[in-house]
Amino acid sequence: MNFYLFIDLVVAGLVTGGIYAVVALGLNLQYGLMRIMNIAHGEFLMLGAYLTYTMVKLTGLSPLWFIPPMMVALFLLGLLLHRLIFRRLAATSPTIEAMESRSLIVGFGLMFIAQNAAQLTWGGGMSGQPYLDEAVKFGEVTVAANRLLVLVVVAAASLALVLVLKKTLLGKAVRGMLQAPLGAMLVGIDTRRLHPACFGLGLALAGLAGGLLSMVYELTPAMGEPYTISALIVITLGGLGNIPGAIAGAVLLGLVETFGMYYTSPSLKILISYGVLVGVLLLRPKGLFAR
Amino acid sequence: MKQGAIFLVAALLLAALPVLDSPFVQSMALTCLMYAGLAVSWSMFSGPTRYLSLATSAFFGLGAYCTAWGLAKLPWPLVIMAGGLAAMLFALLIGLVVLKLRGAYFAVITYGLGELVKHSITHVEKTYAGTVGRVMTETPSSNVVYWTVLIIALLAVFTYVHFGRSRYGHALRGIGMDEERAATLGVNPMRVKLLGFCLSAWFAGALGAAMAVRWTYIEPNTVFNPFIVFQTVLISMVGGPLTVGGPLIGALVFSLLSEFLRLSLPYLYMILLGLLLIVSVLYLPEGIAGHDWRALWARFGRKRFGREP
Amino acid sequence: MHPLPRRLALQAALAIAGLLALPGFAVAQEPTIKVGYTQSRSGPFAPGAQTTQEPNYLLWAEQVNAAGGLNVQGKKRKIELVGVDDRSDMETIVRSYEKFMTTDKVDIVLPPWGTGANFAVAPVANKHGYPLVAPTALSQKLVDMKLPYYFVTLQQPKPMMQALVDMLAANGVKTVAVSYMDDLFGLENIGALEPLLKDKGIQVLDKKSYPLGVKDLSTMLKGMKAANPDAFIGITYPPDNFLITGQAKEIGFAPKIFYTAVGTAFPIYRERMGKASEGVMGMGSWNPKMSKVAKTYFDAHVALNKKEPDRWASAHAWAALEIIQQTVEKVGLDRKAMRDHIAKTEFDTVLGKMKFNGTEEVGVPGMVGQWQNGEFEIVWPPARATAKAVVPKVWN
Repeated sequence: MNFYLFIDLVVAGLVTGGIYAVVALGLNLQYGLMRIMNIAHGEFLMLGAYLTYTMVKLTGLSPLWFIPPMMVALFLLGLLLHRLIFRRLAATSPTIEAMESRSLIVGFGLMFIAQNAAQLTWGGGMSGQPYLDEAVKFGEVTVAANRLLVLVVVAAASLALVLVLKKTLLGKAVRGMLQAPLGAMLVGIDTRRLHPACFGLGLALAGLAGGLLSMVYELTPAMGEPYTISALIVITLGGLGNIPGAIAGAVLLGLVETFGMYYTSPSLKILISYGVLVGVLLLRPKGLFAR
Repeated sequence: MKQGAIFLVAALLLAALPVLDSPFVQSMALTCLMYAGLAVSWSMFSGPTRYLSLATSAFFGLGAYCTAWGLAKLPWPLVIMAGGLAAMLFALLIGLVVLKLRGAYFAVITYGLGELVKHSITHVEKTYAGTVGRVMTETPSSNVVYWTVLIIALLAVFTYVHFGRSRYGHALRGIGMDEERAATLGVNPMRVKLLGFCLSAWFAGALGAAMAVRWTYIEPNTVFNPFIVFQTVLISMVGGPLTVGGPLIGALVFSLLSEFLRLSLPYLYMILLGLLLIVSVLYLPEGIAGHDWRALWARFGRKRFGREP
Repeated sequence: MHPLPRRLALQAALAIAGLLALPGFAVAQEPTIKVGYTQSRSGPFAPGAQTTQEPNYLLWAEQVNAAGGLNVQGKKRKIELVGVDDRSDMETIVRSYEKFMTTDKVDIVLPPWGTGANFAVAPVANKHGYPLVAPTALSQKLVDMKLPYYFVTLQQPKPMMQALVDMLAANGVKTVAVSYMDDLFGLENIGALEPLLKDKGIQVLDKKSYPLGVKDLSTMLKGMKAANPDAFIGITYPPDNFLITGQAKEIGFAPKIFYTAVGTAFPIYRERMGKASEGVMGMGSWNPKMSKVAKTYFDAHVALNKKEPDRWASAHAWAALEIIQQTVEKVGLDRKAMRDHIAKTEFDTVLGKMKFNGTEEVGVPGMVGQWQNGEFEIVWPPARATAKAVVPKVWN
């Protein structure tokens, strides 16, 4: 393999990994903090993509204008869902395992609702509005402009999240809850406010990924499912509740998939990703970065 | 005893259904029985242990592929047995590893292994057989398929009840309540879990083997469809996996609902299904059958008749 | 064009058709002809079904009814479509057709969309003695099942790939890169393609497969770009062909000939890909310039469905309906007589003469089309060509 192709593939792997990271971060917050196994996470990515697409179609403006308000809308939706469903679920679940399995079923319910509502609203046909799909050349390396943009935005978003968690008081509270939920409560962290906010943030992050993907791919009501799966793989790799671990896991998965596909064939992509998942779970069941 | 009698009558009535000569009613009953069998067998293991297995699609698909490979070579009952055995073998292999995991890890990896099998079969078929789908030419009549599925479903119910009452059933429930404590009380959790997991896999595999012939042409995407496991889990959870009546009620409710709403209002049906699920998880955590309706009834009865019914 | 209003209108129309079908609403003197079918209005088959097949069914019913109905042994009878959304689900498809044929006892059934669905339905139709003339099934295996009641109007892998390879050879192609989808369609076509390439001495530099629902093929295309072949052949379905074309452009993979199989002839491909679609080749059979009947069909389709038919299977779907119509007008609704008539008659259709050899239609040859200035021109074989192939493809 020549050097330029190698760089090409690394960039492609980073773009894929970056999207995985953003999707997985949201899911990881929800799972790590609240034990919500939100199988409908990818559906919020789909909603973000369709909302962005619709606004672009209506106004003809750049999708970048609509991503922030769409994220706010999804954040509010997250608050609402938490208030209506997950608060009661947490209050009535006797054990953590019961919470996990019941939230999984709720997730299925949300998935059915979201996918079919999207089907009714936008139809099952293909929709998509490529944005900035020209090639950008750096010497011998060519990258599509929209992918580069995706990479920059997801890197910025992941970095911002990590910084917020590391530096701010709020972030410290969240990290506290991730490590020791009971202890956090004892030292006076208000989980009643933080839980809905983190759930909403998860949805907003999924929406961000969706908005970005709407510039690159075709949209379908079921487009979110594979991302839910990838996100689950990523947080398993990185360790449940481990934020930097999830980012590292996402980048790793993106690179492994890209190089794996180059050396074998795109058909084997899923075989590769699950192979990684199974291997890691067997060798390091608590995630790659568990101490 | 009374329950046993009702069960027997229902089984006989179902067995006589082909007399009606209404392929449509029969195909509806077939789907209902398939899901009843899948849900009962799922509940056999996942009900008492609370291990949320998402491997049903993998078991089902393996069974279906056994039929595709063996239909021309083996007699029908052996095909079904082989389908069940293949699923059982797979359950044994993965069980040795995944049954050490709990909670979300277990759910994710059982799902992942299902996908892994699907893609492996695609790859193997493509590389060695030069095909992806498989066509079945000489298929048994629809009555034979119907009776086969009925028998498997009945067997599942029978096994659920007897396995539940056995030493192993108690041990599984013990594991579900507190695995460490069960272990200290002389239960070998791994062995008991493996047994339950494999037993439940046999039924899913056998049902896959029986249903495969209905579609004439099978390909990995149809028989390893994740919708199969979703529907199975939902039926069991909504019905209530802790009693055998739960999955049965669940299967009946879902089949009727889907039959009457799905064709006319497909998207609204699915949205309704989603709402129903969320509501039932929130307000009927043990499922329809597991819910304490008797307490409700007793309250109602006291008001009305002034005594316990 | 936003797809929403069109789909809503379609559903409303069907709902009204369904209402009218209720007993008590029927006012026509002669009993209607009940026509049962499922089509995917949702799920992965929906884009294909809603482009190539269902619009034709609606157009057919509309046209026949506007003319007073179908002439069955001297009596004009109106057509009543009973269409169901199968959600791209096999079990729903099989069950719905069983219901049409046994409980509803409809007069005619029309096939579902796609090879897999046809595999499932063909034996059922055969068992109940309903002739089925399918436009969207592409598999030698299906043909080899030799079901007497089952007919396919679409060209099968062998003739289609033969036309492609002949065209490549005629344009001096020496090397190709091939990508194909991991399903029966992909494998049967690649199976037909490889020996033909070998015969002509065309070398395959790279061959990669990809799964259904793939999201990103840029890695594969980068490898192919590095191999630098004369031509790219994609045995693709929509939306993968959108993905491949878009990503080829993004990474600057620019072979002389760029061929993507199914969906290239969809008008939406041209709309979505814009200039990148210029010069792309694909599976096709016709265009409105081909003949007067083709133009008439094209205009009627646009007038009713507010969208253009695709330049391949749409016309095969229309031809299938023409075959059904001519058969009913000739022999009535006796299904055995219909089958026998279809099996032995040469029909005049929008695509010219059609005739069945067993299941397979043998009148229309394999063809290659190419987008040129917004029209999908037939460029091979020369006898059917509406324009000369433009080689090399211009990549901006």
